[in-house]
Amino acid sequence: MPTEAAFTSRLRSAAVAARVGAVLGVCFAVCFLTGLVSHWAQLPRPAVPFPTSPAWGYRVTQGLHVISGIACVPLLLVKLWSVQPRLLRPVPRGTRRRLLEVAERGSIGVLVAAAIFQLATGLANAARWYPWQDFSFRTTHFAVAWVAIGALVLHVAVKLPVIRAALGADVDDTALDRPTATRADALSRRGLLRTTWAAAGVAVLATAGSSVPWLRDVSVLGVRSGDGPQGVPINTSAERAGVRAAASDPAYRLEVVHGERTVLLTRADLAALPQRTETLPIACVEGWSASGTWGGVRLRDVLDLVDAPRRPHVVVTSLQESGPYRRTELPGNFADDDRTLLALELSGEPLTLDHGAPTRLIAPNRPGVLQTKWVTRLEVRA
Amino acid sequence: MTAVRGVLGALGVGLAAYGAFLLLTRQEGPQVLDVALWFVVGVVLHDAVLAPLAGAVGWALPRVVPGPARAPVAAGLVVLLTVTLAAVPVLGRFGALPDNPTLLDRPYAAGWGVLAGLVTAAVVAGTVVRARRA
Repeated sequence: MPTEAAFTSRLRSAAVAARVGAVLGVCFAVCFLTGLVSHWAQLPRPAVPFPTSPAWGYRVTQGLHVISGIACVPLLLVKLWSVQPRLLRPVPRGTRRRLLEVAERGSIGVLVAAAIFQLATGLANAARWYPWQDFSFRTTHFAVAWVAIGALVLHVAVKLPVIRAALGADVDDTALDRPTATRADALSRRGLLRTTWAAAGVAVLATAGSSVPWLRDVSVLGVRSGDGPQGVPINTSAERAGVRAAASDPAYRLEVVHGERTVLLTRADLAALPQRTETLPIACVEGWSASGTWGGVRLRDVLDLVDAPRRPHVVVTSLQESGPYRRTELPGNFADDDRTLLALELSGEPLTLDHGAPTRLIAPNRPGVLQTKWVTRLEVRA
Repeated sequence: MTAVRGVLGALGVGLAAYGAFLLLTRQEGPQVLDVALWFVVGVVLHDAVLAPLAGAVGWALPRVVPGPARAPVAAGLVVLLTVTLAAVPVLGRFGALPDNPTLLDRPYAAGWGVLAGLVTAAVVAGTVVRARRA
């Protein structure tokens, strides 16, 4: 096992670590805050209503969440590389100093583990890859986000004097360098920093096209091309959801319930109601998004058939027989929004089965997982 | 600065403790154990595989690559290898589903090849510029 003194590169320095760390910290903060927005958007009954405008809000925040997370990968790798010798430094003598050392290393261990965990699970989830056995991605990614941001804030508190000294001095200043870190490398410190920003930039450009339409052509490593039937990608197919038969059955009825009142509607009944057209994005929690032109019935018009009150809380049930999003809850401000539709058409054609035929929910500023497909029942609750 | 550090430190401990509380109370025991396992897997993959590999590449670089190409090659490797690591889930297409052709629907190997080609071109250009200057 090498010792701290064996690392002689001048690049592995506080000067590099503080600069990369500052940018990494900003990216983590963006990830954390946009992650909180996404969590808020998915609460079934938020104490403070999630706004319905702007319609593209969630598309931007969740795109930013995934983009800043991807930028973190090169940043974190270079950051860890620059401080690696610190991992192998000797433990100081004296009980108090030793305890402090153990506490600091423990907190850094938690920070590193949580940071790697968040980036790895986030990247895997964006590509719908679940190599782990048991845990729920959403619950865990949310919990570990708090662990990571807390450990990061603590780390900044511990390192604040070094960070200030390093950022206040020239990048080539040697005052904070380890005694053995004197070897010049192929890259200068400035060169390594520029390379790191370039790597983060390339990682973003190579993937961001899944959420930023004009980057589609350069994002060769994006999780989606952004194309699909009727111009919009699909997350769960009718086949996978097990709704093929039920969704094509002529006996299909949409059941709209409010207390004692129930109305049953066929697709033809829905098509006979006043038709609206709205351009709204599908913005997935996995970061990809696509804009669609949806035609269909205003949800409020359907709710009026059962005399639903203003601001109704609506439980939306899908034909799919299982899965966490079989039933979703639509808060009152979304149910009342004029742009919220039960869509029958996409891009001027009848919805395909994979897009949620006979009818799907489409509302502004809402995570894709909650834009319930194959809607079979709407129940108005107080 | 001591006061700022104290407040930040306490805030950090509080936020992390809330995360630990969420982690331990919102899922069953086996799920929490699975999280712990992946926590360890991530750190071990980095510390025992990636970090030594990076060290080995750094050691070999000046011994294998001639002078004017060293800095461009080092920069090119940092860009290409870190981006490749971020792209592992799409390059492997592990999450692809037979019933959903809109997912992971790009030619990723070809895309990676283009990216590697562009990085190589930049490395060659950088080397030529440096060799002329020398």
